[in-house]
Amino acid sequence: MTTSAISTSALSRSFGAHQALADLTLDVAQGEVFGLLGHNGAGKTTTVNLLTTLLEPTAGDASISGHSVKTDAAGVRACIGYLPENVQFYDNLTLLENLRFFARLSGLRRPDARIRDVLGFLDFTGHDTQRVGTFSKGMRQRVGIAQAVLHSPAVLFLDEPTSGLDPEGVRTLRETIVRLNHEFGMTIFMNTHLLSEVTKTCTSIGILNHGRLVHHDSMTNTLAAFPADESLEDIYFQLDSAAA
Amino acid sequence: MNTVLTSARHEILCTLRARVAVLLLVVFLGMVSLSSLIGWITNTTVTRVYEKILADGLTTAPNPFAAVSALYYSRNSVIYVVLIGALMAIILGVQATLRDRKSATVDLVLSRPVNTVARILGQFLGLGAVIAVVLAASTTISWAAIGVIIGTPLGVDPTLRLMGFAAVSWVLMMIFALLGMLTGLYSRKETTALLVPFVVWSAIAFVLPQVGTAARPVALLNPVPALAASGGTSFDLIGALTGPFAITEQFKRVASIVLRDDSVTGNPVASILLLLAVLIAMIWIVVVTPRRALRSGLNE
Repeated sequence: MTTSAISTSALSRSFGAHQALADLTLDVAQGEVFGLLGHNGAGKTTTVNLLTTLLEPTAGDASISGHSVKTDAAGVRACIGYLPENVQFYDNLTLLENLRFFARLSGLRRPDARIRDVLGFLDFTGHDTQRVGTFSKGMRQRVGIAQAVLHSPAVLFLDEPTSGLDPEGVRTLRETIVRLNHEFGMTIFMNTHLLSEVTKTCTSIGILNHGRLVHHDSMTNTLAAFPADESLEDIYFQLDSAAA
Repeated sequence: MNTVLTSARHEILCTLRARVAVLLLVVFLGMVSLSSLIGWITNTTVTRVYEKILADGLTTAPNPFAAVSALYYSRNSVIYVVLIGALMAIILGVQATLRDRKSATVDLVLSRPVNTVARILGQFLGLGAVIAVVLAASTTISWAAIGVIIGTPLGVDPTLRLMGFAAVSWVLMMIFALLGMLTGLYSRKETTALLVPFVVWSAIAFVLPQVGTAARPVALLNPVPALAASGGTSFDLIGALTGPFAITEQFKRVASIVLRDDSVTGNPVASILLLLAVLIAMIWIVVVTPRRALRSGLNE
């Protein structure tokens, strides 16, 4: 029996009269790579913000590694890593200074050795004393991954991680996600538009439509349930239009 | 404790890497350092004129500079703290809290096991350390310059008084830094975050003292506090009501007494306590900022 790394129960969030997320109930098992799909405004980023405790739910609850986002937000934050869409850093500081700051905020007292290990894992060495303001989008994304995994979180949240990356950057990121999952058993929750990447990296998927979860299953079951469809893209559009 | 220290260290690093901030710190340091030189030039010029009119038999009055304290040469620093120091502190404060909102790094920070009170307190302490170092440097320069002007090192009492002046300057500047931090946290636009504290500063430095004393605006550029109106006028009442809020005048009063300006007498304790009370109240107001305010984006 697998235990849930992420579990939500009727999780909801409204912004005024707008219901951004309604009654989201799902479980993501430990060690899974979960892809949350949906059109713009479907509620994907709201979901990640709720699960990372950046937003408070208006109803329902969620737990990450057993910590409730409502009653134990500090416990949640201690066991997650987070890479927001279009991640930004302190441009006037060097790579090492940026990573030291985030590592110390995560509780690492002498983080330099760990930073070297992580940068080595990401094959991103030789930039320690370079200011982050001079980095390309792809380099920033790698710094983003580095800051998110410095403290070896149990669950990693990635919000549109491939946004703005060139094909090589997308491939590198995909390989990194797979390695983090395989080598460290990290549970990964990923929002994305790139269905081709979901097919290659995710073990299970969910589809949000106007704030409601319209599909949630393993990748294998999802593909098997729609034998007539050629790709995940076809399946996605079929499920999305059926829910609309 | 870890978050406080980490945030403080980070704030120092970010402040020292920002060109505008460094430029402001250098300007302030330069002006305060020049204060002694300006005081010395004033002294020598007036003394030269005095000796000329004395030789011409036009006066029998004593040289007005004959009995001034050595700390007289630091007196211009008082107004530099009120004008340049306070504005510099506002800009540093705005930058400190606006930085995370502007670059959206706030989400990376808040997704950590970070207590927001500790985070903001750390930023405040980091800024406090930067301003303390600048004031320590300016005090050292003033001490050395006065020693050169009077031809002998300053004794223990005037040295302690210079240090006391630096301490009260730190309190005033940190109040304005906190004002900047506050608008940096709550303003929807960067321009508003800078303009609002400047308006508040000008009201505190110029409007409040004027409505309570009927002082001429130019008089408020003096390093000594504006004289209170007396004689049962309505200014007495207004002055009593607005006086506690005119913190720059309270600062001038303390600084004048500490720097042995004979035109201001009395006990500075009430003014010191008032400045400390404002500082503590401002710290409390800033550190209790809710997480949702820290995350609020800018409309730009």
